[in-house]
Amino acid sequence: MISVKKVNNKPLNLLERIYLWEIGRGLLVTMRHFFVNLFNPKGTVTVQYPEQMIPLAGNARLRTRHRLKVRADGSPKCVACFMCQTACPAYCIRIEAAEYPDNGVEKYPAVFDIDLSRCVMCGMCVEACPEDAIAMDTAEIPGGVETRQALLLTKESLLRNLPGEPSVTGAANRLANDYLRARGEE
Amino acid sequence: MPKLTIDGKAVEAAKGATLLEAAQQLGVYIPRYCYHPKLSVSGNCRMCLVEVEKTSKLVTACSTEAAEGMSVRTDSEKVKAARRDVLEFLLINHPLDCPICDQAGECGLQDYYMEYSLKKSRFPQGDKVTRQKRRALGPHLVLDNERCVLCTRCVRFCSEVTKTSELEVMERADHSFIDLKEGKSLDNDYSLNIADLCPVGAWTSRDFRFKSRVWFLKKTPTVCLGCATGCLIEAHHNENTVYRLVPRPNAETNTWLCDRGRMTYKAVQAGDRLAKGVIKNGLIDLEPALREAATRIDEQHAAAAVLGSPWLSIEDNAALARLAAEALKTENFCFDFSAEQGIKDGILVNKDPAPNTAGAGLVKAACGGLSLEEFSRRIADKRIKVVITEARAAAFIKDALKASGARLIVFAVNRAEIPPEAYATLPYASYFETPGTFVNYQGLKRRAEPAVEAKEGVKPLWAVVNKLAVYSGTSLRLDSAEDALKGINFR
Repeated sequence: MISVKKVNNKPLNLLERIYLWEIGRGLLVTMRHFFVNLFNPKGTVTVQYPEQMIPLAGNARLRTRHRLKVRADGSPKCVACFMCQTACPAYCIRIEAAEYPDNGVEKYPAVFDIDLSRCVMCGMCVEACPEDAIAMDTAEIPGGVETRQALLLTKESLLRNLPGEPSVTGAANRLANDYLRARGEE
Repeated sequence: MPKLTIDGKAVEAAKGATLLEAAQQLGVYIPRYCYHPKLSVSGNCRMCLVEVEKTSKLVTACSTEAAEGMSVRTDSEKVKAARRDVLEFLLINHPLDCPICDQAGECGLQDYYMEYSLKKSRFPQGDKVTRQKRRALGPHLVLDNERCVLCTRCVRFCSEVTKTSELEVMERADHSFIDLKEGKSLDNDYSLNIADLCPVGAWTSRDFRFKSRVWFLKKTPTVCLGCATGCLIEAHHNENTVYRLVPRPNAETNTWLCDRGRMTYKAVQAGDRLAKGVIKNGLIDLEPALREAATRIDEQHAAAAVLGSPWLSIEDNAALARLAAEALKTENFCFDFSAEQGIKDGILVNKDPAPNTAGAGLVKAACGGLSLEEFSRRIADKRIKVVITEARAAAFIKDALKASGARLIVFAVNRAEIPPEAYATLPYASYFETPGTFVNYQGLKRRAEPAVEAKEGVKPLWAVVNKLAVYSGTSLRLDSAEDALKGINFR
């Protein structure tokens, strides 16, 4: 059953029916806010995004701008397995694989582009990654740019570690660890 | 002809057939790693274990001959448990480096694990035996011993098919690994078949290495145009790029594919691919190039000639025949190519390097034309002053052209094909981009299907011929490759 609420609207009086007076009254409210905010901007609730941002609560479930994690020697953790590109429902990831001559991991991304103008921030790439190489924990909300080109994240702009990384403990990739160990001994 | 039952279904197997083959006849799939229909039976992977009534142990289906009255079960609990356990053994030391393995997506270990096992590993990563990782062996292959399940398909292929015996299983038991024999190198003409044969990621192709993931690839059945053998192949491509060619095994012609045939796709994407016409040495748009070619033909209308090509499809040869008969109205045309045909190396490579000598012969039988000697003589005598042909076919009349200095107008796909004598070159779409019919050395008609789209402005040869005819004042009314065959009476 749909519940019905009866509203008793007051009949309009003469001034209200003339309309002009009420419009003027409404404009006065707008003007008051304008001048108050102009001379006392501290009271405004609007944030000047993207120049200003409200700090985000640290939340594990938060999905923000992507990043690619970096190993201790500066190489990307990503091995260009194309799992994220396969899982991506928005087709926004483009990878081109290349081969290391010396590193036992063999494979790395020569190109890793994320087109943020297509990205739907679903986090499937993070879920799909078998190497824990891609993350969406930079706490930056992308967008607010002047050109479409600025929304294309390249490998260089994606590679970054958060404080405390790279953490060697818990790294699962045997080949990468072997390689790093060998380099450390040299 | 023994009669037996497999999973309760009766089947009459051929004499000498194994249980695996009998099951295949019924449509019952038995998993296998070491078994291959064209290689000897090895029976080492134990993946094909089945239960036979009144035997004490499970038997390998690939090496047990079907016998009268056998009752075989491939779906009993015992068999399922055996498959799980065999997979566990095979996966004990597997490095699980699927993210960097090119086989991922078409890997026997991945597929069978999902189908028959789904069991958690009981062996920690740190306890696994490590072996040598990637190692380039030969010009086409990479070997990763850690991924190997020692099915020995590669060893048997090299000793039985190519008979070069480069590979061997070294050491014994748990220490075994595949390696090259001393003093050998893996450079036979069929080495890339090993990458196909390998059920896991131990052997992978150097050419295809890290180019694309296999699950992105689309498959188009087509035919190899590397020689007159005309092997059936499958072109694997994605987003208008061909990535690799693999054989389509068939009873008539081929199970394998030679390395040279596998590389034929490279010409399609090569940097010297023609998208424009060439006059002498300068690139020029297709339309002005066509106009120039048509002008040169019109200058010598009576002395123009058309030479077909054994590298072109029947349709395109027919279009050339109609250009000669209807547009040029000349009798100076020739589709007479004879070449010694037959398998050169005992496996696949043909003595005749052109794919359609027999097909050009069909056009000759239907349309007639001069013999190649007569054609050359007329060029040398300067009775023919302009020759229109395909770039590689120009080699047949090279000496005559040199002697007389007749103008040569060729159709070419790549710049490297253009003969130095050519005056004008017109681009056409390769047979990875346009359909065509070819006749192989056995007389079998083979259809090339387009896998990718040609670059903008590059048209199939019949369409270029059609335009050329229009520029010289006659319409052939060709709207498709099949139109070219109209009015030609094939016997």
